[in-house]
Amino acid sequence: MRLTVGWLYPDLMNIYGDRGNILTLLKRAEWHGLEPKLVELGRGATGDMDDVDIFFFGGGQDREQALIYDDLKEFKQEPLQKAVANGAQILAVCGGYQLLGHYYQTADGERYDGIGLIDVRTEAGKKRYIGDIVIQMNIEGLIPATLVGFENHSGRTFLGPNAKPLGKILHGKGNNGSDRTEGCIQNGVIGTYMHGSLLPKNPHFADHLIGNAIRRRGDGALSRLDDSAELAAHDWILQRAQRH
Amino acid sequence: MIRKTTAVWAGKATGALSRITKRGGGTTLPGDVARAIDPKILSRLAQDLTQGSIVITGTNGKTTTARLVTWLLEGAGHRVVSNRAGANLIFGATAAALNRAGVDGRLRADWGVFEIDEASLPRAVAELQPKATLVLNLFRDQLDRYGELESIAKKIELALTTLPEDARAILNADDPRVAEIGLGLLKKPTWYGLDDTSVASKTLPHAADARTCPRCGASLIFDAVYVGHDGVYRCPNHDFARPTPELTATNITLNGFDSLALTIGGTRIEMPLGGLYNCYNVLAAYATACSLGLDPKYIAERLRTFKAAFGRQERIEFRGRHLILVLSKNPAGFNETVRTAVDLAHGTNFIIGLNDRKADGTDVSWIWDVDFEQLKDKAAVVIPAGVRANDLAVRLKYAGVPAQEPQTDPGKALDLLIKCTNEGDIAYLLCTYTAMLDLRGELVRRGWAQPYWET
Repeated sequence: MRLTVGWLYPDLMNIYGDRGNILTLLKRAEWHGLEPKLVELGRGATGDMDDVDIFFFGGGQDREQALIYDDLKEFKQEPLQKAVANGAQILAVCGGYQLLGHYYQTADGERYDGIGLIDVRTEAGKKRYIGDIVIQMNIEGLIPATLVGFENHSGRTFLGPNAKPLGKILHGKGNNGSDRTEGCIQNGVIGTYMHGSLLPKNPHFADHLIGNAIRRRGDGALSRLDDSAELAAHDWILQRAQRH
Repeated sequence: MIRKTTAVWAGKATGALSRITKRGGGTTLPGDVARAIDPKILSRLAQDLTQGSIVITGTNGKTTTARLVTWLLEGAGHRVVSNRAGANLIFGATAAALNRAGVDGRLRADWGVFEIDEASLPRAVAELQPKATLVLNLFRDQLDRYGELESIAKKIELALTTLPEDARAILNADDPRVAEIGLGLLKKPTWYGLDDTSVASKTLPHAADARTCPRCGASLIFDAVYVGHDGVYRCPNHDFARPTPELTATNITLNGFDSLALTIGGTRIEMPLGGLYNCYNVLAAYATACSLGLDPKYIAERLRTFKAAFGRQERIEFRGRHLILVLSKNPAGFNETVRTAVDLAHGTNFIIGLNDRKADGTDVSWIWDVDFEQLKDKAAVVIPAGVRANDLAVRLKYAGVPAQEPQTDPGKALDLLIKCTNEGDIAYLLCTYTAMLDLRGELVRRGWAQPYWET
C-alpha cells in the first residue's frame, strides 16, 4: 500500500530540524511494508495534493513565513480543506500550526489571517518559551502516553470549542503558558509547538499518524517495530524533565 | 587612568587564580571582573594598540580565520593580542587584552585580532573601533540562544554601518545574506569568493537558509554551491546577484584533512588545513593580510607552516590510534566536516559527540538538518557520544547508518573506539563544543593530550 507524504514549503518552512518528521514518516512507512512517496509542495505547487495521506507543515523564520503567506492562501487553502474532508492527516508544527488557525496577531495588534482549518487563534507574547517540553496525550491507547520535544516560540495560542488540546503539560509551557494545554486536534489536523524533531523521539505517535492516514483505505493496522533506540531518547527526556 | 590600572590588575589576578585552580584557561572571567570596575576598559586598552584592531565574525570559521590572521601578522614581526581560546563574547576579548597588559595597565601590542560572536559585534565595533571587520558567513546556529538568522543579520548590519571612517569591511560575496548586508553599505566593502566549479555541487543542502532574493522574494538560482548556501547565485528576476569579488580562490585542490591548495590572484598557496570550508577561511585571512599591506609571497610562505587551533582538525595520538578532532557545531559546519572526512579523507571510524549545554545550544533538533546520510555504506565504526548520544543514535538509525551503542560517558566512548578499531587506524571525532571539551578532557586526564589553554 502506498503512503504519500506531502511536505509544505520544505525549503522555507524548515527551521527547527523539521525534516526529522519527514524522515521518520518515510522510514517507518517503509519498515511497516508500505510504499512511501514524498511530494514537495513549495511555492506555486498545487499538483498531487489529492493523493497526499499525511501533510507536514513546519515552522519558518518570520522572513520566510512572509514569503509563503500569499501562496498558502492562493494555492494550498482549498486543497488542504478538501484533503482533510477526505480523511487526510495534517501535522503542523510551530509557525505551521499558527497559520492553520484563524489568525496571528503581532505585538502591535496587527492581524494576519490564517486559513482557519483549526479553531485556534494566536497572539504574540513578550517572553519566548524555550526549553524541553513533555505532555500527556489526549489520545487513548498509545503507549507511552507521553510526547517529548523542545519548544521555542513567542506565540500564545488559544483553542476554540471545536479544537481539543493534543495534551496536558507535564513539563514546559505549551500553547500559551497559562492553561497547561499543548497543541490541538481537530478532525485529522494536529497542531503543536513541539519540535525536537517531534516524530523521531515519539515513534508511537508517528505510527498513530500513519495508521490514521491509511485507515481510510484499509484497516490501518501496523506491525510493531523495534523502537528501543527511539524510546531510549524519549525516556532520557522524561527522566531529565522529572529531575527539574 | 587609576581606574584602568585597577581594572587591569583585578582582571589579571582573576585570570591567574583561574589557571592556578585549574578551573579553566581564564579566558573570560577576568574580562567580567575588569569590566565591572571599568566598563570602558576594552576601548582604553584598544587605544594602546600601535596599529589597531581586526574583528572577525560569522557563524563558522571565526577561530581558524583569527588564528590565520594572527599567524600572518606575527610572522611579519607584529606583536598581536588575540582571544585565542574561542572566548568570543566581549568579555573574552577583554580578558585577552588584560592578559597581555603590563602591570602599569598598558597594552603593549601592535594589533588586536578578535573573533567576535555575531550578536556581540555592535558592541565590539563600538569599543574596538576596528581597522578591518570580516564577516565570514551566516548560517542557522543555536536558535534557542541566538534567535533567528534575521535578528543576527540585523545586528551585523547595524555594526557595519557604525564602522569608523577609515575602516574596511571584508565580506564573503558568496553568502547571500552577507552580500545583502554589504550591498546596503555606503562604503563599498572588499568582496571575496571562491571560483572553481570543480569543487562545487549543483544543489543546495537541506540546511541552506539564505535561498531567496532579498528584494523580490523569488528563489535564488545557484550556479555553484560550495558550502551551505555559499556559492554563486542570482535572482531569476535580476533583482540581486552575487557581488563580483575582488579576490577569488581558484584551482582548488583538497587533500582530506591534511592540506589544501588554491590560487589567489596569481599566488599559489599550499597549507596544512583541510576541507573546502577552510578555503574560505584562508581566502578571508589572505584578503585581510593584503589589505594591511602584507606581501602575497610572504603570505604564501608563512601559511605553509600554519598549525590549527585546539579542536579544529587537531591531531592526538591515543593508544596507537590517530585521532582527528573536528569541531562541528551546526548543520552547515557538520555537513562540511562529514563530507571532508568521508569523501576527501576516506575516513571510516567516527565518534560523533552531541551535547546540549548552553555553549552547544540546548535544542538538538538541528541534527535532523545534518546530512548524516553521507556516512551510509562508507563508515565502519560510528559511536554516538555526548549528553545527547541517544538522540544521535536515532538520527543515525533514520539515516540508515549502523551505529554502536550510544555512549553518554566520554571515557566509555573512547574505550569503545579502542575496542572497535586497530592500532594504526585513524578516527574522526566530530563534536559540538562542550562534547569536544569532554572528550579532550578525558584524553588529557589519561595523559594523551595537553590542556587546551596550553595549546
